[in-house]
Amino acid sequence: MELTIPGVATLHRDRDQAARRSGRGGDAETADAALAAAGDGRAFERLYRAHVARIHSLVRRMMGPDQADDVTQDVFVRAWNKLATFRAEAAFGTWLHRLAVNVILARRTTLGTERGRYDDSEDALEVVPSRPGAGVELSVDFEQAMGRLPDGARQVFVLHDIEGYRHEEIADMLGIVEGTSKSQLHHARMALRRHLER
Amino acid sequence: MKDQWTDRLSEYLDGELGAAERAALEGHLATCAECGATLAELRRVVARAGALHDRPPTADLWPAIAQHIGVVSLPARRARRRIAFTVPQLAAASVALALVSSATAWLLIRPGARGPVAEAPTPAPSAPATLATAAMYPDKRYAAQVADLERALERGRGQLDTTTVRVIEKNLRIINRAIREAQSALAADPANSYLNLHLAQEMRRKLELLRQAAALAGARS
Repeated sequence: MELTIPGVATLHRDRDQAARRSGRGGDAETADAALAAAGDGRAFERLYRAHVARIHSLVRRMMGPDQADDVTQDVFVRAWNKLATFRAEAAFGTWLHRLAVNVILARRTTLGTERGRYDDSEDALEVVPSRPGAGVELSVDFEQAMGRLPDGARQVFVLHDIEGYRHEEIADMLGIVEGTSKSQLHHARMALRRHLER
Repeated sequence: MKDQWTDRLSEYLDGELGAAERAALEGHLATCAECGATLAELRRVVARAGALHDRPPTADLWPAIAQHIGVVSLPARRARRRIAFTVPQLAAASVALALVSSATAWLLIRPGARGPVAEAPTPAPSAPATLATAAMYPDKRYAAQVADLERALERGRGQLDTTTVRVIEKNLRIINRAIREAQSALAADPANSYLNLHLAQEMRRKLELLRQAAALAGARS
Protein backbone atom coordinates (compact mmCIF):
# COMPACT_ATOMS: atom_id res chain seq x y z
CA MET A 1 0.00 0.00 0.00
CA GLU A 2 1.31 3.43 -0.86
CA LEU A 3 0.20 6.88 0.03
CA THR A 4 2.07 10.02 -0.75
CA ILE A 5 1.97 13.38 0.88
CA PRO A 6 4.19 15.99 -0.73
CA GLY A 7 7.38 16.31 1.21
CA VAL A 8 6.90 13.02 2.99
CA ALA A 9 8.44 9.82 1.78
CA THR A 10 6.20 7.28 0.18
CA LEU A 11 5.81 4.39 2.56
CA HIS A 12 5.94 0.87 1.33
CA ARG A 13 5.31 -1.03 4.49
CA ASP A 14 1.93 -1.52 6.04
CA ARG A 15 1.87 0.87 8.96
CA ASP A 16 -1.88 0.71 9.38
CA GLN A 17 -1.51 -1.65 12.29
CA ALA A 18 0.25 1.01 14.31
CA ALA A 19 -2.35 3.53 13.25
CA ARG A 20 -5.18 1.32 14.36
CA ARG A 21 -3.47 0.88 17.70
CA SER A 22 -4.52 4.37 18.63
CA GLY A 23 -7.72 4.51 16.61
CA ARG A 24 -11.19 3.09 17.06
CA GLY A 25 -11.35 0.97 13.98
CA GLY A 26 -11.36 1.47 10.24
CA ASP A 27 -15.04 1.78 9.41
CA ALA A 28 -15.93 4.09 12.27
CA GLU A 29 -12.97 6.34 11.61
CA THR A 30 -13.57 6.41 7.88
CA ALA A 31 -17.15 7.43 8.55
CA ASP A 32 -16.03 10.11 10.97
CA ALA A 33 -13.50 11.37 8.46
CA ALA A 34 -16.28 11.69 5.89
CA LEU A 35 -18.51 13.49 8.35
CA ALA A 36 -15.70 15.79 9.34
CA ALA A 37 -14.93 16.54 5.71
CA ALA A 38 -18.55 17.64 5.39
CA GLY A 39 -18.11 20.01 8.31
CA ASP A 40 -19.08 17.87 11.28
CA GLY A 41 -16.99 19.16 14.15
CA ARG A 42 -18.07 16.44 16.55
CA ALA A 43 -16.85 13.75 14.18
CA PHE A 44 -13.51 15.50 13.95
CA GLU A 45 -13.36 15.81 17.70
CA ARG A 46 -13.74 12.03 17.96
CA LEU A 47 -10.86 11.61 15.55
CA TYR A 48 -8.81 14.07 17.56
CA ARG A 49 -9.41 12.23 20.81
CA ALA A 50 -8.56 8.88 19.24
CA HIS A 51 -5.23 10.05 17.84
CA VAL A 52 -3.98 12.94 19.91
CA ALA A 53 -1.78 10.80 22.16
CA ARG A 54 0.07 9.25 19.25
CA ILE A 55 0.49 12.51 17.36
CA HIS A 56 1.52 14.44 20.45
CA SER A 57 4.05 11.77 21.35
CA LEU A 58 5.50 11.86 17.85
CA VAL A 59 5.81 15.64 17.95
CA ARG A 60 7.24 15.66 21.45
CA ARG A 61 9.88 13.10 20.57
CA MET A 62 10.79 14.80 17.32
CA MET A 63 10.76 18.41 18.45
CA GLY A 64 10.87 18.41 22.22
CA PRO A 65 8.20 19.18 24.82
CA ASP A 66 8.24 22.96 24.37
CA GLN A 67 6.90 22.75 20.83
CA ALA A 68 4.68 19.74 21.27
CA ASP A 69 1.34 21.37 22.04
CA ASP A 70 1.66 24.04 19.40
CA VAL A 71 2.73 21.71 16.63
CA THR A 72 0.13 19.11 17.57
CA GLN A 73 -2.56 21.76 17.22
CA ASP A 74 -1.13 22.69 13.87
CA VAL A 75 -1.26 19.07 12.74
CA PHE A 76 -4.95 18.77 13.53
CA VAL A 77 -5.82 22.13 11.99
CA ARG A 78 -4.07 21.09 8.80
CA ALA A 79 -5.75 17.70 8.91
CA TRP A 80 -9.13 19.44 9.09
CA ASN A 81 -8.24 21.56 6.09
CA LYS A 82 -7.00 18.57 4.11
CA LEU A 83 -9.73 16.07 4.97
CA ALA A 84 -11.04 16.21 1.44
CA THR A 85 -7.81 14.60 0.27
CA PHE A 86 -8.24 11.58 2.54
CA ARG A 87 -9.27 8.74 0.25
CA ALA A 88 -9.72 5.96 2.78
CA GLU A 89 -7.11 3.91 0.92
CA ALA A 90 -5.27 3.59 4.22
CA ALA A 91 -6.35 3.92 7.81
CA PHE A 92 -7.14 7.45 8.87
CA GLY A 93 -4.41 7.16 11.49
CA THR A 94 -1.82 6.36 8.86
CA TRP A 95 -2.86 9.34 6.79
CA LEU A 96 -2.79 11.58 9.84
CA HIS A 97 0.61 10.29 10.94
CA ARG A 98 2.15 11.05 7.57
CA LEU A 99 0.64 14.48 7.60
CA ALA A 100 2.08 15.02 11.07
CA VAL A 101 5.57 14.07 9.94
CA ASN A 102 5.20 16.54 7.09
CA VAL A 103 4.16 19.32 9.46
CA ILE A 104 6.98 18.52 11.87
CA LEU A 105 9.62 18.61 9.19
CA ALA A 106 8.28 21.85 7.76
CA ARG A 107 8.17 23.42 11.21
CA ARG A 108 11.65 22.18 11.99
CA THR A 109 12.94 23.97 8.93
CA THR A 110 11.03 27.12 9.75
CA LEU A 111 12.42 27.23 13.24
CA GLY A 112 15.94 26.63 12.05
CA THR A 113 16.33 23.80 14.48
CA GLU A 114 18.26 21.96 11.87
CA ARG A 115 21.41 23.88 12.70
CA GLY A 116 24.13 21.39 13.36
CA ARG A 117 21.68 18.55 13.28
CA TYR A 118 23.83 16.35 11.14
CA ASP A 119 26.98 16.70 13.10
CA ASP A 120 28.49 13.35 12.43
CA SER A 121 31.13 13.54 15.07
CA GLU A 122 31.41 11.73 18.32
CA ASP A 123 31.01 15.06 20.06
CA ALA A 124 27.29 14.68 19.64
CA LEU A 125 27.32 11.89 22.14
CA GLU A 126 28.57 14.21 24.81
CA VAL A 127 25.31 16.12 24.71
CA VAL A 128 23.58 13.25 26.43
CA PRO A 129 24.99 12.99 29.93
CA SER A 130 26.24 9.57 30.74
CA ARG A 131 24.51 7.75 33.49
CA PRO A 132 26.49 7.70 36.71
CA GLY A 133 26.42 4.84 39.12
CA ALA A 134 24.18 6.76 41.49
CA GLY A 135 22.69 10.21 41.78
CA VAL A 136 20.06 12.40 40.18
CA GLU A 137 20.81 11.20 36.68
CA LEU A 138 19.29 7.87 37.62
CA SER A 139 15.92 9.59 37.43
CA VAL A 140 16.44 10.65 33.84
CA ASP A 141 14.22 8.31 31.93
CA PHE A 142 14.72 7.03 28.47
CA GLU A 143 12.47 9.54 26.76
CA GLN A 144 14.09 12.46 28.49
CA ALA A 145 17.45 11.14 27.37
CA MET A 146 16.13 11.04 23.82
CA GLY A 147 15.25 14.69 24.15
CA ARG A 148 18.86 15.51 24.93
CA LEU A 149 20.16 14.04 21.71
CA PRO A 150 21.20 16.46 18.98
CA ASP A 151 18.27 17.23 16.68
CA GLY A 152 19.48 15.14 13.77
CA ALA A 153 20.29 12.05 15.81
CA ARG A 154 17.01 12.32 17.71
CA GLN A 155 14.91 12.66 14.57
CA VAL A 156 16.57 9.74 12.84
CA PHE A 157 16.22 7.62 15.99
CA VAL A 158 12.52 8.45 16.36
CA LEU A 159 11.74 7.88 12.72
CA HIS A 160 13.68 4.61 12.52
CA ASP A 161 13.45 2.89 15.87
CA ILE A 162 10.07 4.17 17.03
CA GLU A 163 8.14 4.96 13.86
CA GLY A 164 9.61 2.24 11.67
CA TYR A 165 10.78 4.21 8.66
CA ARG A 166 13.69 2.89 6.62
CA HIS A 167 16.93 4.78 6.13
CA GLU A 168 16.03 5.35 2.50
CA GLU A 169 12.79 7.03 3.54
CA ILE A 170 14.40 9.01 6.32
CA ALA A 171 17.14 10.26 4.04
CA ASP A 172 14.50 11.45 1.59
CA MET A 173 12.48 13.16 4.29
CA LEU A 174 15.41 14.89 5.95
CA GLY A 175 17.36 15.67 2.82
CA ILE A 176 20.43 13.68 3.79
CA VAL A 177 22.19 10.64 2.41
CA GLU A 178 21.48 7.18 3.75
CA GLY A 179 24.94 6.87 5.20
CA THR A 180 24.33 9.93 7.36
CA SER A 181 21.03 8.49 8.53
CA LYS A 182 22.72 5.24 9.54
CA SER A 183 25.53 7.07 11.29
CA GLN A 184 23.10 9.31 13.21
CA LEU A 185 21.08 6.30 14.27
CA HIS A 186 24.13 4.50 15.58
CA HIS A 187 25.29 7.56 17.49
CA ALA A 188 21.86 7.96 19.05
CA ARG A 189 21.73 4.33 20.12
CA MET A 190 25.25 4.46 21.53
CA ALA A 191 24.31 7.52 23.58
CA LEU A 192 21.03 6.11 24.81
CA ARG A 193 22.42 2.76 25.96
CA ARG A 194 23.84 4.61 28.94
CA HIS A 195 20.29 5.38 30.07
CA LEU A 196 18.90 1.90 30.02
CA GLU A 197 17.42 0.63 33.23
CA ARG A 198 19.73 -1.75 34.92
CA MET B 1 37.30 1.26 23.69
CA LYS B 2 36.34 1.22 20.04
CA ASP B 3 37.59 -0.95 17.27
CA GLN B 4 36.92 -0.94 13.56
CA TRP B 5 33.66 -2.83 14.04
CA THR B 6 32.03 -0.77 16.75
CA ASP B 7 30.45 1.67 14.33
CA ARG B 8 29.02 -1.15 12.24
CA LEU B 9 27.11 -2.80 15.05
CA SER B 10 23.85 -0.97 14.38
CA GLU B 11 23.94 -1.93 10.73
CA TYR B 12 24.60 -5.52 11.77
CA LEU B 13 21.72 -5.35 14.22
CA ASP B 14 19.40 -4.01 11.50
CA GLY B 15 20.47 -6.63 8.98
CA GLU B 16 21.96 -4.09 6.64
CA LEU B 17 25.45 -5.51 6.19
CA GLY B 18 26.40 -7.47 3.13
CA ALA B 19 27.12 -11.16 3.50
CA ALA B 20 30.89 -10.75 3.57
CA GLU B 21 30.88 -7.98 6.17
CA ARG B 22 28.34 -9.81 8.22
CA ALA B 23 30.46 -12.92 8.31
CA ALA B 24 33.54 -10.90 9.21
CA LEU B 25 31.75 -9.11 12.02
CA GLU B 26 30.37 -12.33 13.40
CA GLY B 27 33.86 -13.69 13.42
CA HIS B 28 34.99 -10.65 15.35
CA LEU B 29 32.14 -10.93 17.85
CA ALA B 30 33.25 -14.46 18.66
CA THR B 31 36.49 -13.09 20.03
CA CYS B 32 35.63 -9.55 21.24
CA ALA B 33 33.64 -9.50 24.45
CA GLU B 34 33.39 -5.72 24.42
CA CYS B 35 31.70 -5.59 21.03
CA GLY B 36 29.43 -8.39 22.15
CA ALA B 37 28.39 -6.40 25.21
CA THR B 38 27.85 -3.25 23.14
CA LEU B 39 25.71 -5.16 20.68
CA ALA B 40 23.57 -6.48 23.52
CA GLU B 41 23.08 -2.93 24.80
CA LEU B 42 22.12 -1.68 21.38
CA ARG B 43 19.54 -4.43 21.18
CA ARG B 44 18.10 -3.27 24.46
CA VAL B 45 17.93 0.33 23.21
CA VAL B 46 15.99 -0.77 20.14
CA ALA B 47 13.66 -2.87 22.27
CA ARG B 48 13.17 0.01 24.69
CA ALA B 49 12.30 2.38 21.85
CA GLY B 50 9.76 -0.06 20.51
CA ALA B 51 8.12 -0.38 23.90
CA LEU B 52 7.55 3.34 24.47
CA HIS B 53 3.97 4.24 25.24
CA ASP B 54 2.20 7.20 23.72
CA ARG B 55 1.12 9.88 26.14
CA PRO B 56 -1.54 12.52 25.52
CA PRO B 57 -0.78 16.19 26.18
CA THR B 58 -1.23 17.33 29.74
CA ALA B 59 -3.78 19.93 28.64
CA ASP B 60 -6.72 19.34 26.32
CA LEU B 61 -5.79 20.93 22.99
CA TRP B 62 -9.22 20.48 21.45
CA PRO B 63 -10.79 23.81 22.51
CA ALA B 64 -8.02 25.75 20.78
CA ILE B 65 -8.22 23.55 17.70
CA ALA B 66 -12.00 23.85 17.59
CA GLN B 67 -11.77 27.59 17.80
CA HIS B 68 -9.18 27.69 15.06
CA ILE B 69 -11.18 25.61 12.61
CA GLY B 70 -14.46 27.24 13.48
CA VAL B 71 -16.29 24.41 15.19
CA VAL B 72 -17.68 24.50 18.67
CA SER B 73 -16.32 22.19 21.32
CA LEU B 74 -18.73 20.25 23.49
CA PRO B 75 -18.04 22.26 26.65
CA ALA B 76 -18.45 25.50 24.73
CA ARG B 77 -21.71 24.31 23.29
CA ARG B 78 -23.00 23.53 26.74
CA ALA B 79 -21.93 26.89 28.07
CA ARG B 80 -23.55 28.73 25.21
CA ARG B 81 -26.78 26.93 25.71
CA ARG B 82 -26.89 27.91 29.34
CA ILE B 83 -26.52 31.52 28.35
CA ALA B 84 -28.92 31.50 25.45
CA PHE B 85 -31.75 29.66 27.10
CA THR B 86 -32.78 30.42 30.61
CA VAL B 87 -36.09 28.60 30.67
CA PRO B 88 -35.66 25.52 32.89
CA GLN B 89 -37.41 23.36 30.42
CA LEU B 90 -34.92 24.25 27.74
CA ALA B 91 -31.95 23.86 30.02
CA ALA B 92 -33.02 20.30 30.72
CA ALA B 93 -33.20 19.64 27.02
CA SER B 94 -29.93 21.40 26.27
CA VAL B 95 -28.77 19.43 23.30
CA ALA B 96 -32.16 19.47 21.67
CA LEU B 97 -32.44 23.20 21.90
CA ALA B 98 -30.16 24.30 19.14
CA LEU B 99 -31.49 21.63 16.84
CA VAL B 100 -35.06 22.50 17.57
CA SER B 101 -34.50 26.13 16.92
CA SER B 102 -32.84 25.54 13.62
CA ALA B 103 -35.67 23.43 12.29
CA THR B 104 -38.12 26.19 13.00
CA ALA B 105 -35.90 28.61 11.24
CA TRP B 106 -36.12 26.59 8.14
CA LEU B 107 -39.87 26.71 8.25
CA LEU B 108 -39.81 30.43 8.58
CA ILE B 109 -37.73 30.97 5.53
CA ARG B 110 -39.74 28.78 3.24
CA PRO B 111 -41.18 30.59 0.24
CA GLY B 112 -44.48 32.09 1.18
CA ALA B 113 -43.92 31.54 4.84
CA ARG B 114 -45.53 33.97 7.21
CA GLY B 115 -44.41 34.87 10.67
CA PRO B 116 -42.49 37.27 12.79
CA VAL B 117 -39.02 36.61 11.52
CA ALA B 118 -38.67 39.27 8.88
CA GLU B 119 -35.10 39.79 10.03
CA ALA B 120 -34.15 36.23 9.28
CA PRO B 121 -31.59 35.99 6.51
CA THR B 122 -32.79 35.45 3.01
CA PRO B 123 -32.60 31.79 2.29
CA ALA B 124 -30.00 30.61 -0.11
CA PRO B 125 -31.26 29.46 -3.49
CA SER B 126 -30.74 25.92 -2.40
CA ALA B 127 -32.86 26.22 0.72
CA PRO B 128 -36.18 25.32 -0.94
CA ALA B 129 -34.61 22.00 -1.70
CA THR B 130 -35.51 21.05 1.84
CA LEU B 131 -39.06 20.77 0.60
CA ALA B 132 -37.97 18.12 -1.79
CA THR B 133 -36.98 15.83 0.99
CA ALA B 134 -39.74 13.36 0.32
CA ALA B 135 -38.68 13.05 -3.26
CA MET B 136 -35.00 12.73 -2.53
CA TYR B 137 -35.14 9.32 -0.92
CA PRO B 138 -36.67 6.09 -2.06
CA ASP B 139 -37.56 5.21 1.54
CA LYS B 140 -41.21 6.24 1.85
CA ARG B 141 -41.29 5.73 5.58
CA TYR B 142 -38.39 8.09 6.05
CA ALA B 143 -39.96 10.66 3.77
CA ALA B 144 -43.25 10.38 5.62
CA GLN B 145 -41.53 10.87 8.97
CA VAL B 146 -39.76 13.95 7.71
CA ALA B 147 -42.95 15.38 6.29
CA ASP B 148 -44.84 14.76 9.56
CA LEU B 149 -42.15 16.45 11.58
CA GLU B 150 -42.01 19.40 9.24
CA ARG B 151 -45.74 19.89 9.62
CA ALA B 152 -45.51 19.66 13.40
CA LEU B 153 -42.69 22.12 13.40
CA GLU B 154 -44.59 24.53 11.22
CA ARG B 155 -47.52 24.48 13.58
CA GLY B 156 -45.33 25.49 16.50
CA ARG B 157 -42.77 27.64 14.80
CA GLY B 158 -44.22 30.90 16.05
CA GLN B 159 -43.18 29.89 19.54
CA LEU B 160 -39.50 29.99 18.77
CA ASP B 161 -37.35 33.09 18.74
CA THR B 162 -35.64 34.36 15.64
CA THR B 163 -32.13 33.58 16.80
CA THR B 164 -33.10 29.99 17.27
CA VAL B 165 -34.72 30.01 13.89
CA ARG B 166 -31.56 31.21 12.22
CA VAL B 167 -29.49 28.50 13.84
CA ILE B 168 -31.87 25.83 12.66
CA GLU B 169 -31.91 27.26 9.18
CA LYS B 170 -28.16 27.09 8.99
CA ASN B 171 -27.99 23.54 10.33
CA LEU B 172 -30.60 22.27 7.95
CA ARG B 173 -28.87 23.84 4.99
CA ILE B 174 -25.62 22.16 5.96
CA ILE B 175 -27.26 18.78 6.37
CA ASN B 176 -29.23 19.06 3.17
CA ARG B 177 -26.15 20.03 1.25
CA ALA B 178 -24.28 17.05 2.64
CA ILE B 179 -27.17 14.78 1.67
CA ARG B 180 -27.31 16.14 -1.86
CA GLU B 181 -23.58 15.78 -2.31
CA ALA B 182 -23.63 12.23 -1.04
CA GLN B 183 -26.53 11.34 -3.33
CA SER B 184 -24.77 12.89 -6.27
CA ALA B 185 -21.58 10.97 -5.54
CA LEU B 186 -23.54 7.77 -5.06
CA ALA B 187 -25.20 8.21 -8.43
CA ALA B 188 -21.76 7.86 -9.96
CA ASP B 189 -20.57 5.16 -7.58
CA PRO B 190 -23.60 3.31 -6.17
CA ALA B 191 -21.61 0.52 -4.56
CA ASN B 192 -19.42 2.80 -2.49
CA SER B 193 -20.03 1.71 1.10
CA TYR B 194 -18.28 4.76 2.44
CA LEU B 195 -20.71 7.09 0.66
CA ASN B 196 -23.69 4.98 1.64
CA LEU B 197 -22.69 5.18 5.28
CA HIS B 198 -22.17 8.90 5.01
CA LEU B 199 -25.58 9.42 3.41
CA ALA B 200 -27.29 7.32 6.06
CA GLN B 201 -25.67 9.31 8.82
CA GLU B 202 -26.70 12.61 7.30
CA MET B 203 -30.27 11.41 6.88
CA ARG B 204 -30.34 10.34 10.51
CA ARG B 205 -28.98 13.71 11.53
CA LYS B 206 -31.75 15.49 9.67
CA LEU B 207 -34.46 13.29 11.13
CA GLU B 208 -33.15 13.78 14.65
CA LEU B 209 -32.91 17.52 14.22
CA LEU B 210 -36.49 17.75 12.98
CA ARG B 211 -37.72 15.45 15.73
CA GLN B 212 -36.18 17.51 18.49
CA ALA B 213 -37.20 20.78 16.91
CA ALA B 214 -40.78 19.70 16.57
CA ALA B 215 -40.84 18.49 20.16
CA LEU B 216 -39.60 21.79 21.48
CA ALA B 217 -41.91 23.83 19.31
CA GLY B 218 -44.80 21.71 20.54
CA ALA B 219 -43.74 22.08 24.16
CA ARG B 220 -43.65 25.83 23.86
CA SER B 221 -47.00 26.23 22.16
